[in-house]
Amino acid sequence: MARILVVDDAATVRSYHRMVLEQAGHEVSEAENGLEALEKVLRDPVDLLLVDINMPKMDGYRFLREVRRDETIRAIPAVMISTEAEDSDKELAWHAGANTYLVKPAKPEVLQRLVALATGEVTA
Amino acid sequence: MGFVKSDTQEVVGSTEHRREYSRDPEGMLQQLRDPDPARRRWAARDLGEFPEYVSHLVDALENEDDETVRQAIFDSLARIGGDEVAELLLPFLRSEDAQLRNGAVEVLTELPDATAPRMEKLLHDPDPDIRIFALDILRVLPHPKSPDWIAQILATDDHVNVIAVAVDRAADVGTPAMVELLEEVGQRFADEPYIQFAIRTALERIATGA
Repeated sequence: MARILVVDDAATVRSYHRMVLEQAGHEVSEAENGLEALEKVLRDPVDLLLVDINMPKMDGYRFLREVRRDETIRAIPAVMISTEAEDSDKELAWHAGANTYLVKPAKPEVLQRLVALATGEVTA
Repeated sequence: MGFVKSDTQEVVGSTEHRREYSRDPEGMLQQLRDPDPARRRWAARDLGEFPEYVSHLVDALENEDDETVRQAIFDSLARIGGDEVAELLLPFLRSEDAQLRNGAVEVLTELPDATAPRMEKLLHDPDPDIRIFALDILRVLPHPKSPDWIAQILATDDHVNVIAVAVDRAADVGTPAMVELLEEVGQRFADEPYIQFAIRTALERIATGA
């Protein structure tokens, strides 16, 4: 079981990811933009970040750059998840500090498998 | 006390910055090209008082890499508002830079009168990402035609991510008249678990009026 922070400005997306991840036994918390996520993860570090790109106040790239700058939370693995499927988007995500990238909308089994890999519960 | 001291220093600093440039728009434009981000930020804020310099602010936005200066420019553009700002910001929705994209979306949502006439075109853009941004704008853009625009997308768009966001919007502003349409969308995208989940959520919210 991992503690996962889902960061997305769309409430329905957050609810969907929560449902899928809780079905796999994970504990899920939510933030609706990068700024709120940064405050939450600094206060209460988690095992994994699931991060959207386009959000108001602080986008996903900037959020991950802030996470990677802070020694106390920089090691937390991050999955960037977005509707944008271009290679350039994935490259930007990796540059910002994402460990892996998933295109929305994600099938439950794909999301669960990816999270299991990212948290080290299973190996490829 | 710490906060008071910090504010005082910033105000003093800004005064010094202002003295090095003339306080007319031409001086502010020069300051907008200063190597010091703090000076550019002050210029961006001050130029928000001059609607005739909108295009200069937008040009500066394209070349600015400091996030705080960018935000100051966006704030000034939102303060100025109007058709020219909306028109000049639309190309930023296609930017590779997420901060520019999201900044443009945020300003456009603050300008309902200028943005609403452009919504139909945005919602029919060939690029699905632009249609998604248009739906993002609709989330906070109060407009009586929103339900019609969302219904139109639900009925005609075939891109799964556009439909996913449109279903989210239907949950926000949906009316009982949209129920049948949402059920049709559910049949068209029967193999997409997220769409099924979002439609259930939207139908529940419409039924309960939440």
